[in-house]
Amino acid sequence: MLDIRPVLFISGFLLLILAAAMGVPMAVDLAGQKTQWHAFLMSGLLTAFVGCALILANRAPHELDLSVREAFALTVTAWVLSGVLAAVPFAQSSLHLSWTDSLFESFSGLTTTGATVLTGLDRMPSAILMWRSMLQWLGGVGIIVTAVALLPILRIGGMQLFRMESSDKTHKTKARISQIAWGILGVYSAFTIALTLALHLAGMTPLEAICHAMSSISTGGFSTSDKSLGNFSDAARWICVLGMLLGGATFSQYLFPWKGRHHLGVWQDSQFRWYLSTIAFFALLLTFWNWAVGDMTAYHALRASAFNVVSLLSTTGFHTDDYNSWGGFAEVVFFFLAFVGGCTGSTAGGIKIFRYEVLFAMAGNHLKRLLHPNGVFIIDFNQQKVSDLVVRSVLSFMMLYFFCFALLALGLSMTGLDAVTSLSGAAAAIGNVGPGLGHLIGPGGTYHSLPDMAKWLLTFGMLLGRLELAPFIILFTTAFWRE
Amino acid sequence: MFDLRPVLFYTGLTISVLALSMAAPAMVDLAHGSADWRIFAASAGVSLFLGLALLLGNRVRRFDEASVRQIFLMTVLCWAAAALVASFPFAFSGLKMSATDAVFEATSGITATGSTVLRDLAAKPPGILLWRSMLQWLGGAGFLVTGVVLLPALNIGGMQIFQLGSATERGLPRSAKVAGQLLAIYSALTLLLTLLLWAAGMSRFPALLHAMSTISCGGFSTAEGSIGEWRNPNIDWVILLGMLMGGAPFISYLHLAQRRWRLAVANTQLRWYAAILLAATLGIGLWLLLTQGGKPLPSIRHGLFTAASVMTGTGYATLDWGRWHGLPLVVLFFLAFVGGCAGSTAGGVKVFRFQILVENARIQLIRMLRPNSVMAASYQGMPISDVVTGSVLGFLFVYTLSFAALSMALGMLGLDFMSAISTAASALANLGPGLTASVGPLAGYAALPDTAKWLLSAAMIFGRVEMFAVLVLFTENFWKP
Repeated sequence: MLDIRPVLFISGFLLLILAAAMGVPMAVDLAGQKTQWHAFLMSGLLTAFVGCALILANRAPHELDLSVREAFALTVTAWVLSGVLAAVPFAQSSLHLSWTDSLFESFSGLTTTGATVLTGLDRMPSAILMWRSMLQWLGGVGIIVTAVALLPILRIGGMQLFRMESSDKTHKTKARISQIAWGILGVYSAFTIALTLALHLAGMTPLEAICHAMSSISTGGFSTSDKSLGNFSDAARWICVLGMLLGGATFSQYLFPWKGRHHLGVWQDSQFRWYLSTIAFFALLLTFWNWAVGDMTAYHALRASAFNVVSLLSTTGFHTDDYNSWGGFAEVVFFFLAFVGGCTGSTAGGIKIFRYEVLFAMAGNHLKRLLHPNGVFIIDFNQQKVSDLVVRSVLSFMMLYFFCFALLALGLSMTGLDAVTSLSGAAAAIGNVGPGLGHLIGPGGTYHSLPDMAKWLLTFGMLLGRLELAPFIILFTTAFWRE
Repeated sequence: MFDLRPVLFYTGLTISVLALSMAAPAMVDLAHGSADWRIFAASAGVSLFLGLALLLGNRVRRFDEASVRQIFLMTVLCWAAAALVASFPFAFSGLKMSATDAVFEATSGITATGSTVLRDLAAKPPGILLWRSMLQWLGGAGFLVTGVVLLPALNIGGMQIFQLGSATERGLPRSAKVAGQLLAIYSALTLLLTLLLWAAGMSRFPALLHAMSTISCGGFSTAEGSIGEWRNPNIDWVILLGMLMGGAPFISYLHLAQRRWRLAVANTQLRWYAAILLAATLGIGLWLLLTQGGKPLPSIRHGLFTAASVMTGTGYATLDWGRWHGLPLVVLFFLAFVGGCAGSTAGGVKVFRFQILVENARIQLIRMLRPNSVMAASYQGMPISDVVTGSVLGFLFVYTLSFAALSMALGMLGLDFMSAISTAASALANLGPGLTASVGPLAGYAALPDTAKWLLSAAMIFGRVEMFAVLVLFTENFWKP
């Protein structure tokens, strides 16, 4: 039987971190408006209490050694528990959000999605704004650590390719995993600080600067204004573009830029090149479209297109313009971009560039095999052979992704939403993008007016997409619970 | 460079068959006193000349050493040439259609898609109406042969699991025999449908036309309002039956005819086909019943009809789904991708590919828990090799990619979001209508820009030959000696 104790034990530690994090918005509030601090104090104490209880009740006598099943259970438990407790401040604050809305907001934050039910952000208490962006920042850390340490072990969707080089020798890998995780955390924090300073210099107030820095490096997308980045200066927009670009790229490559994977430089990483070329292609295409058809000036078209394409592809969800009004072409492009996603091992969601590389290779091999039925064709990634196992898991990931997307879209339409909202909402939730298409949930809109059932479905979709589907789905298989 | 003669020979044969079949609308028009009969006769003459020239100029003694390359080129050339030749009568008839419209209508016919640029169908001369339905019928027959004999032999998109035998050697005579039997069944079913439609209250001529367009999963009608115009539940049921039969694997009918009952029932593809259809029907039917104030039985009928029409890629409508919103549109959107069974006249991704992918995903999930377990995915009791799964996924990926590219192109030409994505999905799946009022089942495609019509025509052929037959022509290896 599944030993649940180590799972709860580790989750307890994570909750303590979350509780400590709640101190920050409390301090912000005490320094300023003094209206929300008690909500954060109460939630912090509650979270700390739950965390301590879990730790004390599940102290494991021996060394922690997770089996595959426990690792799955841990992934899901940790994310769900953190999300639920992170919702408490929203429910307790002066906003008086319903539990549905609070959970939606907190999961949207933690999964770095960026879909919001709140309006009137410009007049929102700063503690709340701070907490939303902090959630995204913490969620970003969480997903990097999950992706680096857990997902490769669990062999999810071809991520084993990113398993630490060398082999499975446990002691060595453990040491390397923690070394890499700490290294990434350092880079992540350094980027956040640099972005904060840059945004401040670009004319944002300190609070706005730090919030946007946290939301963009984590490819989250919560803003401090209803008009998102549309409310800020050009310089701030370009800085955010840079932040989103950085957040959507593989983090481990920032660690040893002089070494890189297999002694290739950053630019030799094929995933990074594909990522940049896809962004450049669609940004230029839309720039041209907006310039030629939409009567924008060349610079305005470039600024708007680049910003929104980067925001969609890195699954951030900031926006500067209402691209719903750019016409059918832009909508179609943005719909499909929500399926692309950033690089593996980044804070971005979606299917990820790496998997598309494998898919392209697979389709190409099929084409070659048509003429040479007995030929042997190898798929390689960064000059490394991709094993059949990886290929097969990429394949099943794709299948599950589209299946979940279809089910979620169907579920959303059952709650009475129109087709555009259902399709784009489902894609945006599973891909952790944030805004969808249409006047309801498109850029500038919020998820506020959606029926409660739809919010629950979307919350589930965000979590599903963030954990790369399998950990969740596997909990529903009989094989998981069977001895 | 390989020998082009057999390729051109069979292209010529296809053109000649089309030319000869133009005699039928010519005679109907003559009997009806419509001046269009001259157009058909002239088109037939020109096409026959073209076809015979190709036939006689490229005679080969035996066609048993055909290489894979020749079959690929032949498949694509035959379909493209057929679409072109079939457009002659449209272009030169009294309808005064532009070249774009004529080619679009012919392609839509021959690929059994069913999107039309014609308006006011009731007033059209009978020859043109017959020609449209005949095109679909011939296209359906052609696709049946392509899907049962050629695509499996070419290993396209995992179709190799349906191989009857190898294309090149001893397999061909057996394949040819099976193809002949299937065509006989196809004709018999058409006759049956005609009689049933007539018995249900259609007059003879529309009954024949609709039977031809139904069994081929085509979807050309003789009425502006599609099947809904008759307001006759019996006709709805008969057409429904026809669409379901057209979307089922024809090999199962063969087994039935040979009284191999167990083989006919053992086909798991049929079960999935039925299950998906019923689930979709439930969704649409309940929506009609609960939100549109329908009565129970008509709601089920319309739900089932619409689901079957979209899933099999027919495109007939009893209700104008272009004016629906919400749940049923999402259901139909996804249904258009599923398509019918392999070895049927239906388009789309096909049910068996989803079966293989789902099976593979299931195995993969179990393997995540037990990394060292030895489990193999299987389809109808046969293990699926990695090559097959890879092919299926490669197929699905290219399908999705083409869908995305086509939608973007259509968006660029000025279509709105829903029209663009639903029209693209519809053309690739050889379905026909889209999901909005402007491109829905009762709207027609007349208002689309010319470039969009050309793109859609190309997409229809692309989807019909299962894409890879076209793609392979563009690889550099293909043309290398």
